[in-house]
Amino acid sequence: MKNELNRSVPPLVVLPENIKVPHAAEQKLDNGMPIFIVNSGEDPVCRIDVLLNAGSRYQQNNLEATATASLLSEGTTLNNSQQIAEFLDYHGSFIDLSADRDWGKVTLYCLEKYFERSIAMLAELVMQPIFPEKELKIWSERSKQKLTLELDRTSTLARQAFFNQLYGKNHPYGRFATPSDYNLLESNKLLSFHKKHFSFANSTIILSGSVGEMEFGIVNKYFGKEEWGGQNEPVYAPIAFNKPGIGLKFVEKKDAVQSAIRIGCRLIKRNHPEYPIMLIVNTILGGYFGSRLMKNIREEKGYTYGINSHIVTLRDDGFFVIGTEVGSQFTQLAIKEIRNEIERLRHEPVGESELQQVKSYMWGEALRSFNGPFAIADNVISLLNFNNLDYGFYDQLFKTIKEAKSENIMNAARKWLNVDEMVCCVAGSVNPEA
Amino acid sequence: MIHFDRFTLNNGLRVLVHQDNSTPIVTMNLLYNVGARDEDPNRTGFAHLFEHLMFGGSVNIPLYDEPLDRAGGENNAFTTNDITNYYLSLPKENIETGFWLESDRMLSLAFSQGNLGVQKSVVVEEFNQSYLNQPYGDAWLLLRPLAYKVHPYMWSTIGKEPQHIKDATLNDVKSFFFSHYAPNNAILCVSGNIEVDEVKRLAEKWFAPIPEREVKLRSLPKEPVQTEPRTLEVTRNVPYDSIYMAFHMCNRNHPDYPATDLITDLLSNGKSSRLFQNLVKERKLFSDINAFITGDVDDGLLVVTGRLVQDISFEEAQNEIFGELNRLKNEKVSEYELSKVVNKFESTFTFGLTSPLEKAFNLCYYEMLGDAGWLNSIVGQYRNVTIDDITRVAGSIFTPDNCSTLLYKAAR
Repeated sequence: MKNELNRSVPPLVVLPENIKVPHAAEQKLDNGMPIFIVNSGEDPVCRIDVLLNAGSRYQQNNLEATATASLLSEGTTLNNSQQIAEFLDYHGSFIDLSADRDWGKVTLYCLEKYFERSIAMLAELVMQPIFPEKELKIWSERSKQKLTLELDRTSTLARQAFFNQLYGKNHPYGRFATPSDYNLLESNKLLSFHKKHFSFANSTIILSGSVGEMEFGIVNKYFGKEEWGGQNEPVYAPIAFNKPGIGLKFVEKKDAVQSAIRIGCRLIKRNHPEYPIMLIVNTILGGYFGSRLMKNIREEKGYTYGINSHIVTLRDDGFFVIGTEVGSQFTQLAIKEIRNEIERLRHEPVGESELQQVKSYMWGEALRSFNGPFAIADNVISLLNFNNLDYGFYDQLFKTIKEAKSENIMNAARKWLNVDEMVCCVAGSVNPEA
Repeated sequence: MIHFDRFTLNNGLRVLVHQDNSTPIVTMNLLYNVGARDEDPNRTGFAHLFEHLMFGGSVNIPLYDEPLDRAGGENNAFTTNDITNYYLSLPKENIETGFWLESDRMLSLAFSQGNLGVQKSVVVEEFNQSYLNQPYGDAWLLLRPLAYKVHPYMWSTIGKEPQHIKDATLNDVKSFFFSHYAPNNAILCVSGNIEVDEVKRLAEKWFAPIPEREVKLRSLPKEPVQTEPRTLEVTRNVPYDSIYMAFHMCNRNHPDYPATDLITDLLSNGKSSRLFQNLVKERKLFSDINAFITGDVDDGLLVVTGRLVQDISFEEAQNEIFGELNRLKNEKVSEYELSKVVNKFESTFTFGLTSPLEKAFNLCYYEMLGDAGWLNSIVGQYRNVTIDDITRVAGSIFTPDNCSTLLYKAAR
């Protein structure tokens, strides 16, 4: 006799008691460069990240850091741009070259079977680029067009206004390049930026995927033999901050059918003891699909396709930001509801049921964030970026998720999220103050 | 090689299992064989709106997301012109929660008037955000009806216009559900840290009681051969002129599909590709150029899109693109160049199948095309493409009569 299935009763749920945090194997190359190895995964693929003290915070002129990273593959002492492109494409390798505010980053994805020749090419790009004028000009023209196009989006306008307000237009964390800055780039400036920032003393390597002793040996052969680069000491020095801006900033874009909104404030760094509790505060407010902002502004009111909040950490700072694009006619209403939701977090304790939901969601997120070699490598990189790979961060985070109570959450929200001291940037056709 | 098991329930639900004990997670992918091509031409955007409604509560479970969060899970979904695909992942201990949630919304939805109203508004904002408030955002809304005159690929998944979404009624929603959402019109794949026998037990328990349904038979008009060039010119408030050229190509299961895909790789996959080297870097006509195939199940499109450098005319841009396309028809590609794009395909394919979720989705997709096992022979099919195949297929596609061109002109 078959039992009738009762579909209104959910299956029993158990969350794993502990989350195993896979550690990277830490080693040193012969020249002292740190390398972190994440050997896992069953697929024949590898990734290598070279992380450098080469972000835009160190540049003298706008775009130098990005241009230096981007043009590594546009010509070396041994190969020209086309030869490098042919090599990478023929072997099915992918290369990502980027610079953010703090870090330059070179990432290579390759098939295990082409590991050695791919690493040889990677080392050539990192150590021996020549930044040919011709390639710089082509890259600049293309990038200028892309930026001009970006500046046509309300989301870009709101984002840039947000950083300008928060840190100041000339601050290393607040400034942005304009299309005309591309005209000022010169090959010799990139060469000197490269010489100073791309060196063994300014680099860390993270190797992940199907990698073992042999792959370590290969990386050591190409990156570890000499004291390469023109700088024997790390160039990092902390930056200073002004008092943050507050209040509303409206950027007009005529005819926009939606307004892009960014609301937020400066916050704590990732190694701050209250960072884990603020992660919970953020998740409740706008950090997952079931968040209060998503429920209120999308699922109840239908003002937007999506709304999220984030805690973003930079090397020397951190900030909190809420971002959304709403129908123009909903601009004021959406801002009002966002304010209401922040106030509610500050003044009403989170109910037990909602808290449990958020904690379970975050527990699952944590579990997923270590799924597969590249996800583990990403975690290693973010730990390295902010606290020199102190895995204690995770113990603290997991403990906080397990133990946090309503009042801890309300206290943290009160302490760190004050609506009247926030920046509110709106780009679109409707000025919320008009 | 991706190993998998396969079984079918009595109600027609096909189930695939890929076991991988290296992860603490189990993922579920549920593909429904219904997409925007199955919509009424006067009720477009429905499959996608429906995807939103699937999160608004089912017959026995008032909320979809909340219990999933409580079990430590996450989920999402997407709609294409061909399919609607739902996926979730959970800690392995809680995978039954996934079976419970997915089977209940396959059984029936709550069909709430309030939820329909809000989701209509959300989708209109999605329309605004993705298609209207972006530079060049409406290009595909213009290109599709230019290239397709009878086949439903003439509209995008978001729909022809926001009004179609605003007009949707609860009755439309119900009838769409019962004629397309059914165990016999779906494919489930469970992938990750779980035994096949456990998947069998859970599938029998939760999905087997759902009755088989009469699914609306798909009978779509075949797009007739295009016999003359088509051009549409529009002017918009964007910074640069752009060109979109769409050529009709074969369907997904056609033997020439891999060759057609490789043709677009020769043209624009990677910095060493022809269009990038010749038209962007050498001739400096475009700041960006791309060639790709839409990958549709029915006869699809091969599309070349380019953003023009200032002061370059549409005529020159078009001629130079055709120059490169003609070279593929008239000159044999070298062994080296063909191996290069096949190698790159193999690498992209391998990297694209590293997570349990990517494996689960692809197994479902190939099963929908005919056989999940094809996933393991794809790279071989691409390796078998010959130099002559490239010339022959390029010759059949790249003719002016087969081309629909959208000239997207900058007002400034």
